[in-house]
Amino acid sequence: MNDQWTDRLSEYVDGELANSERTALEAHLATCAECRAIVADLRKVVARAKALEDRAPKVDLWSGIHARLTPGRRPGVTRPWRVSFSVPQLLAASIALILLSGSGAWLALKPRQSAVVTPRPDPEFAVLNVSTRRTDAAIADLQDVFDRNKSRLDTSTVRVVQQAFTTIDRAIAEARAALVADPGNAYLNLHLADTMRRKLELLRRVNAIAAAQS
Amino acid sequence: MGDQVLEETLTADSIGADAALAASGDASAFERLYRTHVARVHSLVRRMLDADEADDVTQDVFVRAWEKLSTFRGESAFGTWLHRLAVNVVLGRRKTLGVERGRFHTGEDPLEGVSGRRETPEVSMDFEDALARLPDGARQVFVLHDVEGYRHEEIARMLGVVPGTSKSQLHHARMALRRYLDR
Repeated sequence: MNDQWTDRLSEYVDGELANSERTALEAHLATCAECRAIVADLRKVVARAKALEDRAPKVDLWSGIHARLTPGRRPGVTRPWRVSFSVPQLLAASIALILLSGSGAWLALKPRQSAVVTPRPDPEFAVLNVSTRRTDAAIADLQDVFDRNKSRLDTSTVRVVQQAFTTIDRAIAEARAALVADPGNAYLNLHLADTMRRKLELLRRVNAIAAAQS
Repeated sequence: MGDQVLEETLTADSIGADAALAASGDASAFERLYRTHVARVHSLVRRMLDADEADDVTQDVFVRAWEKLSTFRGESAFGTWLHRLAVNVVLGRRKTLGVERGRFHTGEDPLEGVSGRRETPEVSMDFEDALARLPDGARQVFVLHDVEGYRHEEIARMLGVVPGTSKSQLHHARMALRRYLDR
């Protein structure tokens, strides 16, 4: 069977027909059992497709992937404006930063001290630096709130949250360390700002949940 | 409910943090991303290409992701970004190999010979077998639209066809799979 509507039935199922066409097709469906059956089957096919489950490969592919990653190299360094960092360079940058600041924790909480390293006089990065300092202050405020209210959350939740903070803090610290070596790097600046924003959002969420427990 | 929201937030933040760490060269963080996303990527690749290519191309996807991490700006979820990259790798693979994009033609039944419906939990595997029998072009459109949720306009841009062709191939693919389901 193939009437004038058969080839349009998928569009009908997907809700892609214009109103006038949909009205006409629905009038046809009222009298055509075969088209109604096809529509029902097409919906089953769509539902089956959406229900397909993902399956991992039968063998672990990580070793093959890892072997192809350039060791000790920051990914994405093929863009010409970007400076690449090896692990030793990042380490050296971190050590230099620690020497300048006195401690890594102090650095994380007082990023404005990174101004010891002369930044490039790019107004875009100056705006980012101001934004980063504001975010630092907001994070510190929200962290205080969290420290005061975390007793309202159960221990396991606090532990998971602290682990997440540790991971994010590590990402922030690494970005800052890399920025010491290349303060004008647009990607690193945006990356730092984005990671700090993630921490800010997480703190807001956790504090809201803690407040709701009171 | 609050705990579920918190868990989702933590998962998203954890993935975002791992993406950030990986972008700075942390292979361990990248491995965590691999573990989280490999099933989805491998399934996409397996459905769009032949199964025996899936492992190699999945590796290519993750190596490409490592190389392209700098382009991930966090506007979308990392999984969404990775998935789009995987689609591009798959489509690029077909182009490189010069594989002709198979389309349905009137009267074809590409699923001839595929085993019938089984009333067992393995029925979804049969569906995947039937999917693998579709002509390449129709299969790609079906996977991208019905499995992955892309719109016809997006699919048309990816495949270099007009949206009408995407719609037509999708309908033919569904009709073929329907016939299979009816057996």
